[in-house]
Amino acid sequence: MTMAQEPARGKAIETFTGPGANPHWNSVGPYVTEPQKVPLILLTDRPVQLETPRHYFRTAFTPNEAFYVRWHLEGIPNAVDLKNWKLQIEGNVLKPVVLSLPELMQKFKAVSLAAVNQCSGNSRSRLQPRVPGGQWGNGAMGNAMWTGVRLRELLDMAGVKSGSLMVQFQGLETGAGPAGFGSNLFLKSLDLGNPVLDECIVAYLMNGEPLPMLNGFPVRLVVPGYFSTYWTKCLTWIRVLSAADENFWVKTAYRVPDTPRGNTTPEDVKAGKVKMVPIGRLPVRSFLISPGGTSKIPAGMNVTLRGIAFSGFGGVNRVEVSDDGGKSWMAAKLGEDHGAYSFRTWEAAWTGKSPGRYSLAVRATDEKGNTQPDEPVWNPGGYLWNRIERQEIAVGNAS
Amino acid sequence: MKNRVLGIFPVVCSLAMAAGVVYAEFKKGYYSPAELGSLRQAAPMQLLPDANYQVSAYPVPAVDLVSGDGLQDVQIYCNTCHGPRYITMQPPLPAATWEAEVEKMNKTFGAAIPEDNTKRITLYLQAHYTTDNRKQ
Repeated sequence: MTMAQEPARGKAIETFTGPGANPHWNSVGPYVTEPQKVPLILLTDRPVQLETPRHYFRTAFTPNEAFYVRWHLEGIPNAVDLKNWKLQIEGNVLKPVVLSLPELMQKFKAVSLAAVNQCSGNSRSRLQPRVPGGQWGNGAMGNAMWTGVRLRELLDMAGVKSGSLMVQFQGLETGAGPAGFGSNLFLKSLDLGNPVLDECIVAYLMNGEPLPMLNGFPVRLVVPGYFSTYWTKCLTWIRVLSAADENFWVKTAYRVPDTPRGNTTPEDVKAGKVKMVPIGRLPVRSFLISPGGTSKIPAGMNVTLRGIAFSGFGGVNRVEVSDDGGKSWMAAKLGEDHGAYSFRTWEAAWTGKSPGRYSLAVRATDEKGNTQPDEPVWNPGGYLWNRIERQEIAVGNAS
Repeated sequence: MKNRVLGIFPVVCSLAMAAGVVYAEFKKGYYSPAELGSLRQAAPMQLLPDANYQVSAYPVPAVDLVSGDGLQDVQIYCNTCHGPRYITMQPPLPAATWEAEVEKMNKTFGAAIPEDNTKRITLYLQAHYTTDNRKQ
């Protein structure tokens, strides 16, 4: 995670990493320009998966045009006709509801909430042994101010019938696979008893602008504190279910071991010893964004270390940095508090006193007392990575 | 005589340095756009004030797959649901993992690739994208 950059002949970054861990902050794909986006790091093009480069995380809010993208199926809308598009609340309800975008904007109170959207597989390329899947570096995350309608108001309007179990979300995404398979539709559900439903927003604004098509125009579900798998893009059907959702994306995919940190071993998985449960909230994480190791720092120069931190279990209330690889720690200064589910920026002044290589490390603690550990995580899906991040910094002679 | 020459040498050197101390270097490199990784800016899009919210078609950049037996099967069958970059994006994986991945496409995702072709696809992936043999 150090690596100075140079554009020299024949010295482009490697085209893949492994079998060791990806040593870079981001993944290693080329930059591509997709509609409504600045050049982002390509993981796959069909369906589209794009990673946000490190430097866009200097601020608490991630710009829409740099916000990462992750779709599951290759049928991604590139045009939505708002003359026809309607949000539908259906299934086990007293009175199905159909709402146009103007109705969503005018009939309900608009609420805003800052929340981090992080892919379940963010940092998957760190795992040892490596697991198949999207080989994300750290850039499958972003924070935005989401504005829209409370999901609860929509459910109340339709009237959830007693005996209902789950609420299922379906967007406009479709795949070429046969009906009834995960390759045909991407469907996610949450238990009706889950208190997060009271915090969910059906968002039509992202940082005060319409959502980019690749991030879910015209509306997307926001599930504060939860991994992005639940944040259905181009949300069009909200379906109340009277039975458990048995579809692939709920029953089989996005499951993690029912162990501390979701940690296990390939051997235990093979032996059938691991009970798997649906992935949930974001474990506490923090990142050093700058300096990013691309430049040498003269000895004795007092520089500012900057980064972000977040947790899905409650706001981050402590960030600490280390310049000896994690042996001793000092407190960083936290930036503005945009709410418990937002990125929290932090900074700390630091001087590399003598020339050499320093291993900077950063760790966060949330208000529930969860602190980032220094042990790696392994599970077959490549989820929940939140180990302490390190950055090697070269300090040069100043004279 | 010999001693005198050696004695003068350090004096000459320090005079030369005082005249031309090296404060910086000024190198330029001449790279082709591909080597530099340069990207052209995207053209602005013409937007009409109607109710259709449209963006350009999503680009599908070409992928360099290793040539070899089974490549055609990969291009025909795997490409139905996803681009081949799903292969090249992966780290080198054990042969057994590739077999499990292809089986997942058939059984879990309903790909229904004929048995012969399934075998050829698996062998292709195992011949070029494992921890033992991956080169590109």
